[in-house]
Amino acid sequence: MRNGVLATSLKSDPRLVYVILLLVITVPLLTHSAVAVPISPTTLALYQFIQNLPANSLVVESFDYATSVVPELHPQAIVVTQQLFLRPLKVLFVALDPNGPPLADAVLDTVNKGNKTYGVDYANLGFIPNSATLIGMPLSISEFLPLDTHNNPTASLPIIKEFPAIKLASLVITFDDDSSAAYSYVQYWEGRYNIPVAVGATATVAPGLMPLYSSGQLVGLLFSIRAAAEYEELLSQQYHCCLGISGASASMVALSASHLLIVAMVVFANAAYFIGRRTSRRNK
Amino acid sequence: MSSDKKKMTRGELGLQVIIFGLGFFYAIVYYVAVPGIVDLQAVSDQLLAYITAVLTAAFAIGVINLTRVHYFNIKRKRATWRYSIILLVSLFSMLVFSVIASPFALDPNAAVIPAGVIQFSTPIWDFLYYKVLVNINSSIFSLLAFFIASAAYRAFRARSLESTILLVAGLLVVLGQAPIADLIWPGFSIIRDWIMAFPNTAGQRGILIGAALGIVVFSVRRMIRYPW
Repeated sequence: MRNGVLATSLKSDPRLVYVILLLVITVPLLTHSAVAVPISPTTLALYQFIQNLPANSLVVESFDYATSVVPELHPQAIVVTQQLFLRPLKVLFVALDPNGPPLADAVLDTVNKGNKTYGVDYANLGFIPNSATLIGMPLSISEFLPLDTHNNPTASLPIIKEFPAIKLASLVITFDDDSSAAYSYVQYWEGRYNIPVAVGATATVAPGLMPLYSSGQLVGLLFSIRAAAEYEELLSQQYHCCLGISGASASMVALSASHLLIVAMVVFANAAYFIGRRTSRRNK
Repeated sequence: MSSDKKKMTRGELGLQVIIFGLGFFYAIVYYVAVPGIVDLQAVSDQLLAYITAVLTAAFAIGVINLTRVHYFNIKRKRATWRYSIILLVSLFSMLVFSVIASPFALDPNAAVIPAGVIQFSTPIWDFLYYKVLVNINSSIFSLLAFFIASAAYRAFRARSLESTILLVAGLLVVLGQAPIADLIWPGFSIIRDWIMAFPNTAGQRGILIGAALGIVVFSVRRMIRYPW
């Protein structure tokens, strides 16, 4: 009976659900609780791919997400960029979303760049405005993106002199909020020039990219903020650093608690539904 | 059925020829190479650039239209005219500061715009972008969690065999996604990975192939102007 009353009140007034969820999320965040995160195979695949890249390989990071998914994708971008800067690799930052260039700057402000120099080891080339640029960049970077975000001519940058065309890249990683960038890179760069592609995606988008991962068209796939926490764990194990750099590990208890709450509420609602149905059948 | 088909005007016929020609061109360009005569792929790439130009123009028209609508809202003091003021001020202040001080600044080296103006504008743009826009958009997106929680409680019912399978699979993926669940039973992660790698991939492939076939059918119908 009490079960039925609670179920009815939860159903009639969703604010109770909202308050419970708010508490479940905020309390672990405020108490800085932590939990060990098991490593997913899709995350491990990208981490190991980057670790196995030869020294001085070129990696392209593409910031293809809007500001609305910053809490989910920004931590991924931070930890992957940190790994790239911990290795002797060259990195180019681009964006298929106009929000990308300032978000790339924010990531660069967060990570430890070590002794890497702008223009020599990395550069922010800014926004790729159209498909023609995306298609042309594998043949010539400076022809299609003549200026970087600091207004330097890209042709004058040492990194571009060393790698004048994207077809020389060993990996492109897109942080993608709607899978369109992932499909563009697979279609134009992986399909035509065999440049390996990896994707960091939100929890809602990543399952839709599994066919690309299963077919080998993606060398790695990061699922939501959890993948960022897994990455922090991997970096911590190998380099003894970076735990907490993106804030992802700190949010894992809140993530777990909110997931468990949703599962508990669904189970509870179904139990109340079946009990109610049996009771009404008996009364008839 | 054919009686429903109206006779085309000369303009419609011309448009139809363009649609058919471009559609046919894009369909064959991946399969046909004419080395030495014309690089069809390059022509296709160039056409994509024109599409971007058209879309950019459409975006500019959107800004003009938005300004026009809200300007008349304010001028005629319609019911929500105060919000129109906020919208226009937000739109144009962000536009101005972005043009002066952002990764898209027109004159970052202060060749024309005075350096003092850029120095003054930079912290304002940083504040508007990183502290206002990012947080507002993230907050709105995070509301999704509350709606999902409420919807999950209200709508997920094991009413039939199909819905029960969907419910159980969904709950197992949600549990597998929660790191703490592995402390309860490590099998949750393994089950989640299996569901993602096999049933999910199979389903997603089915959706992709179905959508692709649907696009092909729709495109052919549009190209030959099939009446239904």
